[in-house]
Amino acid sequence: MAVDRRRYLALIFISVIGLVMALAFIHLSAPDLALTQISVEVVTILLMLLALHLLPGNPPRLSALPRRLRDAAIAVAGGLGVGWLAWAVMTRPERAGISRFHWDNSYSGGGGTNVVNVTLVDFRAFDTLGEIIVLGIAGLAIYALLEPAARGVAGRRLRAWRSNDRHSPERHPMMFVMATRLLLPLALLVGSYIFLRGHNQPGGGFIAALVFSIAILLQYLASGFDWTDRRRKFGEHMLIGAGVLIAATTGLGSLVFGAPFLTSSFGYFHLPLIGEFELATAMFFDLGVACVVVGAVLMALAQLAQIAQRAAKAEEADEPS
Amino acid sequence: MSLEFLVASAIAVLVAGGIYLALRGRTFQVVLGLTLLSYAVNMFLFAIGRLIVDKPPLYARGVVEHADPLPQALVLTAIVITFGMTALTVILSLRSFLESGSDQVDGDGDPVREDAA
Repeated sequence: MAVDRRRYLALIFISVIGLVMALAFIHLSAPDLALTQISVEVVTILLMLLALHLLPGNPPRLSALPRRLRDAAIAVAGGLGVGWLAWAVMTRPERAGISRFHWDNSYSGGGGTNVVNVTLVDFRAFDTLGEIIVLGIAGLAIYALLEPAARGVAGRRLRAWRSNDRHSPERHPMMFVMATRLLLPLALLVGSYIFLRGHNQPGGGFIAALVFSIAILLQYLASGFDWTDRRRKFGEHMLIGAGVLIAATTGLGSLVFGAPFLTSSFGYFHLPLIGEFELATAMFFDLGVACVVVGAVLMALAQLAQIAQRAAKAEEADEPS
Repeated sequence: MSLEFLVASAIAVLVAGGIYLALRGRTFQVVLGLTLLSYAVNMFLFAIGRLIVDKPPLYARGVVEHADPLPQALVLTAIVITFGMTALTVILSLRSFLESGSDQVDGDGDPVREDAA
């Protein structure tokens, strides 16, 4: 029990570091990074908590003292080296790089005032396309790793798994269930708002996707895996596939007009009552990004939750209470 | 002390903690170590664009001083990719535990416990 508590404590320390990073990003004029960091933090900690539940909790044997001293020496040397490198980079005068171009052409060429987002979905959209493909592959690899885990030796071990944590007497606390069901539409609304403002204000597809994922994951946490899975109409595979397809098709669309791959077009329109707003083809690209991120996040957490669920069911079947 | 020193020392502490944990023998500690290292790398990449306080890169006519948008865009995707990588490592370690019954990664830990299989 004491060891388990120490491991949970370690996770809480990690999440505190993540929050401090988010605060640092706000202070150092990177609002987009702060929003991304804080939402990724929630998802990462949820993932690690789920995994920790299944990993063995027997106390770690401390390595021998000479070995720990050696590791500590390597760690201190590495830390000092990288810290010195960072210090050396930051204290040198900045040279004129390619950043100037992004700043100067953000509004006239990309149509948005949030230079970070315009860089992601317009100037460096090819990079972003590659990155969402990597994320999609990671999601599919997770599926490939966990789906067959119920068979063979791994499956036997999974069925023999015993939880040594105390369970709450109430599986799905009423207050939690009700609160998360009320929060779901609100969170989806906030996510859409963050998505739509992304081109001109801090926000965008990545952050909106993380907010959507957290909204859905809350339902898994509160109402249970089966309940949520029955009501979800779209699979993670479909989301990842559709996302990459939307992003790539948007890029190919520019070829039809004789422009290079992933060139975006935009315009400012005026509607009575609403006022002036912007429409850009980069928004479809951002939509593709958002789909892949939601798909990959849900894939990782839902697969892990399902494994835990299988183990728990096997446990219940063995010990009818 | 300057802001640069503060950030550089934070990166140093994160790297040192990350390396030490990554050298431990069990998967959970290694995963935590990789998480710390990825925080450090993201912060390092961000710091390449220099530290500028309270001037977010939101374009407006006439604004001259602003934070560098390019490292921010690169770090934003790096943060999300980091999640993908962490998820994959966590799940690899879980699967390897389920297959082998041991969560040792350096091979000289507990022998495989047959009783669990």
